[in-house]
Parts: sequence; C-alpha cells; structure tokens
Amino acid sequence: MNYRIRLLTGLLVTAGLVVHAQNKPKPEDVKTFTLRNGMKFMVLEDHSIPNANFYTFWKVGARNEVHGITGLSHFFEHMMFNGAKKYGPKQFDRVMEANGGSNNAYTTENTTVYTDWFQSGALETIFDLEADRIRDLAIDPKMVESERGVVLSERSTGLENSNYRVISELVKSVAFVEHPYMFPVIGFESDIKKWTQADLERYFKTYYSPNNAVAVVVGDITAAQVRKLAEQYIEPIPAQPLPDSIRTVEPPQNGERRVTTYKDIATPNILLAYHTPATRHPDYYALDLLSGVLSAGNSSRLVKALVLDSTIASRAFTNFGESFDPNLFYIYGIAASNVSAEQLERSILNQIDKVIAEGISDAELQKLKNQKLMEFYRTMETINGKANSLGTYELFFGDYKKLYEAPSLYEKVTKEDVQRVARTYLTARNRTVGYLLPEPTKKGAAN
Amino acid sequence: MKTILTLITALFLAGISQAQTFKVPPYQKLKLKNGLTVYLMEQREVPLINVSVVFDAGAVQDGNRYGLANMTAEALLFGSAKYTKAQLEEKAEYVGASIETYAGKEVAKLSASFAVKDQDLLFDIIQDVVTKPTFDQAEFDKYKQRQLLQLTQQKESPRAVVNSYFNRFVYDAHPYANPITGTPSAVSAITVSDVRQFYLKNYTTDRAAIAIVGDFNSADMKKRITSLFGNWKTAAATTPKLTEPQVTFDKNRVLLINKDDARETTFLIGGKGITQNNPDFIPVTVVNTILGGRFTSWLNDALRVNSGLTYGAGSRFGTYRNSGTFAISTFTKVSTTTEAIDLALHVLDSLHRTGIDEKVLESAKNYVKADFPPRYESASELANLLTDMFSLGFDESFINNFQKNVDGLTVAKTRQIIDQYFPKNNLQFVLIGKADAIREKVKKYGTITEKEIKAEGF
Repeated sequence: MNYRIRLLTGLLVTAGLVVHAQNKPKPEDVKTFTLRNGMKFMVLEDHSIPNANFYTFWKVGARNEVHGITGLSHFFEHMMFNGAKKYGPKQFDRVMEANGGSNNAYTTENTTVYTDWFQSGALETIFDLEADRIRDLAIDPKMVESERGVVLSERSTGLENSNYRVISELVKSVAFVEHPYMFPVIGFESDIKKWTQADLERYFKTYYSPNNAVAVVVGDITAAQVRKLAEQYIEPIPAQPLPDSIRTVEPPQNGERRVTTYKDIATPNILLAYHTPATRHPDYYALDLLSGVLSAGNSSRLVKALVLDSTIASRAFTNFGESFDPNLFYIYGIAASNVSAEQLERSILNQIDKVIAEGISDAELQKLKNQKLMEFYRTMETINGKANSLGTYELFFGDYKKLYEAPSLYEKVTKEDVQRVARTYLTARNRTVGYLLPEPTKKGAAN
Repeated sequence: MKTILTLITALFLAGISQAQTFKVPPYQKLKLKNGLTVYLMEQREVPLINVSVVFDAGAVQDGNRYGLANMTAEALLFGSAKYTKAQLEEKAEYVGASIETYAGKEVAKLSASFAVKDQDLLFDIIQDVVTKPTFDQAEFDKYKQRQLLQLTQQKESPRAVVNSYFNRFVYDAHPYANPITGTPSAVSAITVSDVRQFYLKNYTTDRAAIAIVGDFNSADMKKRITSLFGNWKTAAATTPKLTEPQVTFDKNRVLLINKDDARETTFLIGGKGITQNNPDFIPVTVVNTILGGRFTSWLNDALRVNSGLTYGAGSRFGTYRNSGTFAISTFTKVSTTTEAIDLALHVLDSLHRTGIDEKVLESAKNYVKADFPPRYESASELANLLTDMFSLGFDESFINNFQKNVDGLTVAKTRQIIDQYFPKNNLQFVLIGKADAIREKVKKYGTITEKEIKAEGF
C-alpha cells in the first residue's frame, strides 16, 4: 500500500562504519547550497535508474503540540496535499501522478517529511508543485472536514491491527509527565474531532517557512539543474521568523512507573521504556550499539535467550530512534504461551542486568560494528536510502557529513562504553513498564 | 506475489519529458550438468554480493499438511552438516550478512546478502544449508511451538489474515487456497520426517535456479558456483503441474468473520483475476492503476478523499502461475460498513459503465512507467527478479519492453480489458468485523456464511 502518511516514532536510519572499498561513498559527492530565504538543499547525483526523488524535511512534529491540538502536525501533513493557489484540491496528486510521479509523507515526534518519487524528466513539475503548496497553501474548510474522517480511520486501523501501537501510546503518556513527547503522533481522538481552521492557519504560518526546512534531491538529475529550479521556484518564497524553541524540559524520572491495559489478545505484550539523551549527545552511538546487542539478529541477547533458546517470548525487540530532545529507549516483548507478563519482564531484566554486571564481549562489539557497515552499504544502494539518510543526519546529527563520519564514531565505542550506558540509563528508577494483557476470562463470571 | 499498480486522473499534462527506457542490466545464464540454472549479473555500486535461490517448493505442495512448505523453508536454517543453527547465525551475523528463507504460494526461496570480503564463508554456508540441511529435531520442536502461537496471534490483526480467508473462500479445495503459514492442527501434526521428505521431493536441481548479483567477476563466479553446486545430486522432480482451479460463481456470496472487539470492518470484494503470464498483464495493470492502484485511483478518491470513510482504498490483481484473483480492499468504522461497500461497488460499476478516457489513460501510463525502474534498483531486487524470471517463466523482454508495451495501450483496448478481466457480477465478499452489528445490513450483498475469527483455520 502506498498511502501517504505513516507515523513513525523514530526514523530508521543507518549509519556508516569503516568504509574501505574502492567504490567508497564520500561526502564530496553531495552538493549543497542555501537559498536566500534560508532553505538548504542537498543534491546527490545517481544515474543508475532514470528516476529521482525530492524529500523535504520540516522541523515540526508532535513535540510542537499542546493539549487541544495533539495530532495537528500529522493532520497538517495531510492538508499539504489538499490544495494550494495554483493547484487546487486534488490537483497536487493528479498532476504529479500524470507526470510520472508519486508521493508519500510521514510525521514523527520531531519532524514532518514529504517524499516525492518521479521519472527524472518531471523535476520541474515537482518544483512547481512543491513551491505552490509551500508558498500558498489553501486550507479549504470542506477538505478539513473530510480529512478528519481519514485521520480518525488511520488512528482506528492502527489500534485495530497493532498491539504495539496500543501499549506504546500508553507508556509514552506515563513516561513523560511534562515534555510533549507524551502525545501520540496521531493525536487524541477528541482533539482530531475538534481542531479548528485557525489552528491550521497558525500552524502553517509558524512552521512552514522555508528557513525551517531542508530539502534533499537524489537521482538522475544534476546539481546545476536543481539549483536553477530551486532559485526559480523556491527562493522567492519569503522567510518568516523561526518558531520558538521547545521550552519544556522533562525532569529526571525518580522511580519506576507502571501502567496496564487490556485487549482481546492471546498472550501478554510488555513494553519497557527508559529515558535516554537526545541524538546529539555523545552517548548516542553507544546506546545504539546497546540496542543492537540486545536485539539485532538471532544471535542477539534477547532474541537468543528469550525466543530461540527458551520458550519465554515469541518476539523481542528494541527501538531506539533519532530525537531532538531526550526521549526513550524501548524494549518490547510478546510472551510465549503460558508465560506471564511478570515472568517475561523478569527474563528481560535479567538480560539487562547481565550487560550491566558483566559487560559485552569483544566479538559482540565487533559484530555490531560490522553490521553497521553493511547497513550503510545497503542504504547507499538506493536513491531513497540516500535521500532519507542525508536529511535525517542533517537534522538530527546537525550535519549530513556525519552520515559519512559515523564509521569512525561507531568505531570509537568501546565495550566499557556500552556497559556504562546500560548501567547509566537502564535503571529501575528511570523505567516505565507497560503491560498489555489478555482480557480476563469470562468463565469465572459464567460459573 | 506481484501486485498490480495504479490508476487515474490527469488534469494537466505539462510537457512531460520522455522517461528513458529502463532495461535489465546485462547478465549471463547457464545450466549446470545437474540441471541447476545459474544467473550471474555484475553490479558494482557497493562492495556487496546478493544471492537468490529458488525451488519449486511452495505451499501448493502442502497437500493437507498446511504449513509444510513454510516449515521446510524455515528449517533449512536449523542446522546443516557443518554448522549448527546457532553457529551459522553467529557466523553470518558477525560479518553483518543476512540469510533468509521463506516459502510463498508456489515457490520457496533463499536470499542472502554479504560483503565481497566475506564471500568464502557465506557461499560455504549457503551450499551447506541448501544441499545438506540436518533438520535438527530440538530446533524444529521449538520452532513449531513459536509457530503455533503466531498462528493464534496473527488473528489479532484482521489485515494480516483477510487475504487467507479470501483465498479459501474463492479457491475452496484447490491448493491455491492453502494458507502459507498453515493452521494450528495441521502444523501440530507435522514432523521432522515430513519436512525431510518434502525437502527431498521438492528441492530438486532440475526446477531450481540460483542468481548472484553484485561486485564480482563473472568468469570467477561461474567457477565458484560450478564447484559448489555442480556435484549436487537430487531426485528428479515428480510433482505434476497444478490443475487450473475453477473460479466461477453463479451468485454473490458473503463470508462474515466475527471479531468481537473490532473497531472497524476490514473487507475484500472480488473474484477471478488473471495468471502471471497472461498476455494482457500490462494492460490489466494500467487499468487497475486507474481503478485502485494509486493515490488518485477512483476507489481511493471516492472512499478516502471525497468521503473520509477510510484511510485508504484500493484494488489489486494477485497473480499465480495458473490462476489469479481480483479484489477491492479497504476498511472503515463499524457504523459506515455498508456506506463504504456501496461506494466501492458503485466505483467498480462506473468502471464498467463509463470506461476510461484518453486523458486518464495517459496519466496512468506515465505513472506506471515511472513506478517501474525503482522496483529493480538494488542488487537484491535484481537477484530476486532473475529467480522470478526463472520460476514464473518470463524473460528480460518483459522488463525491457515494459514501457513500450504500456505506451501501446489504447482506449479501445481498455474497454475490452475491462469487459474481459474486471469482475462485474457474482462478487465474493469477505468481511472481518463485529458480526452482530453488521449482519442484518450486509445480507443484501449475498448469501452469508459466518465464521469466528478465533476458530481454527480460514
């Protein structure tokens, strides 16, 4: 399915490692320029297929929301496809598709990202379409109403089909008591039904200024072409003052929090969440490797101990994404048959305690570094992998060149670093535990 | 399975530059003395090698042991002559390589991706697991237990199972109805011995191919593959060609699957489709793009954009070697179930009634052509393409002429395509939702059969 608008709580991005092949991807391949209105472009030529893409990363996401407008970043993402001055309702998609293009978009806690994919001859049309909606979005009240139904359906189908969705929204809401990362990216149902025209107009004015975005174009185009079109179509759009920074800082968690909910499911699902620093913190790389130690592949600790060597869990994985502000390191487990939530939790904690007490082996560390290098190559194999990674590094690590430097940064991580970050962050006081449990059986009541 | 793409409206065709023609990169094809077909394609963008191996060993061979093909494919990685399961995972993961196996409806595949510098190790593992699997009993027992739980858990997501219900409803007793991951009672009964027998019977060199795509020299690779697999002796394939299933209906039928806690109704509406090698595959793809294969498709436009009834609506042709299905697919909240179904039927009807005009066709052609090359961009996608060409029986002319053949479609031809391939009457409905809330309302669509989602199988 190719419907636009996916919700991600973290971007899946890969980082590079030591690169010593003859065909080494290098930062000099990327051409950059910044327009007078402050919008930065990164361009990478790749002529392996006659296609190109255009990714726009806006620095606005659920963290910019407050009660009453939760989910508005995501809803706004939908509205960016619903008509502007030159291309009215439905025209953005119709014109793009008729010219050999397609699109999607996703919203996270931090960003809103728009993705256009097209046959490379359509580059100018893409610029025309993007410039129109960035400059002159028309927020048609009729479109707002029908789009509310779409987003309510999107929210509902997520909860219907994903147990992770159900429990992670609850855990976030408890792990954060002050910072807006407490909000689900999709928003609260009551807010989705109530936000106003004025909320949307204010959002556009506040966040959709060219100096609040970064664009990446990769594929069968040239840097000169992109620059010329950017100057022609995007540069005349005036800059606005940048939005205020987020003021709220989540205070340290000083004690475990627990939350439970129920659903008609076969076995318990549990989610552990630990506060961790923002992506730009030096511990990011060690934490990312710790995540891999726990759950990357069948030889990782949680998968091997809980899923393969014993029958404690049917699945176990970790989730540690990029984030502007300090966020959460998640560990998820689905219990095997006849295993309680408490047993599963204890088994996961035992594995964490082992890393804290004994550290990891040289082989584990080297394995993770080798895997990072392979992920890097696989990312650099496609134009979409390149575009998404360049934009993500520019935003979350402060510079797209960090994508190419990541090898040496992972290489510097030691076994002691991984043990230290486990000991520092994966503590009981810093933890929120969520249980999603099967509905209690009704047999008792019947008797 | 290959899904077909896309669809509809073009309002404004501002001087489209012609997309360059996309062609399959050069490759070599050869056959070893034992009948194994080998494809070699050099791709040097990154220092990786990708392998795809295909066998005629999909779920259609399950008999009544549903899940057997899937378990056999998985069990290839449970240990081999030289490596235990844990050893091969540790060794492969240590170098960041991936090795996966899976069974589909008709074939089973192994896919691997690794760095050039690690090729000695990885080719050794691949050869060992493909030609000398041991099907370790202890690993098999643990896997079976996990699999049984997964079969229960997959029913917690209507989207994960609605196609299995649809296939059973449409194909009835034909092997195309076999659920790939099986059913709890069938999986419970499968033994290591069943898996070994299935392997010996269906993993045969005369119906297998291996494709290598990546950073290597073809002459050297040819020697390597010949030395690794040239002496592999298997039985000759004995499985007869699958019969063509009867997919005709004399009335509308509704399968209503009750899920007590459903927030929404998930549904498919469809019937007979086309085979993979239907000569009209491309025209059908283009027309389906207009009906339900892209964002501006008529279905998505009606059910999502105009009415806000759903997050997404579409249609697809699911194609097999000897058959295929067509289905409209979407979901909506419980209270708007019939509103959404009525609208979907109205859109399908309008395709038959009004057909397609020149402008819409032109837009869909551009969309389909541009959507094509990125499907074959990475080396792993190309390796998979080569083994698909082998197992599905097409060659690179399908790819190389794709854009040209899309261009050749006329409005007159679309009329014929719609009449011939898009179901109109005697539609088959599969609905997963809260039965008590929708039963009375959906009676109007046809004869109802009811099931409980928690009941065994599909």
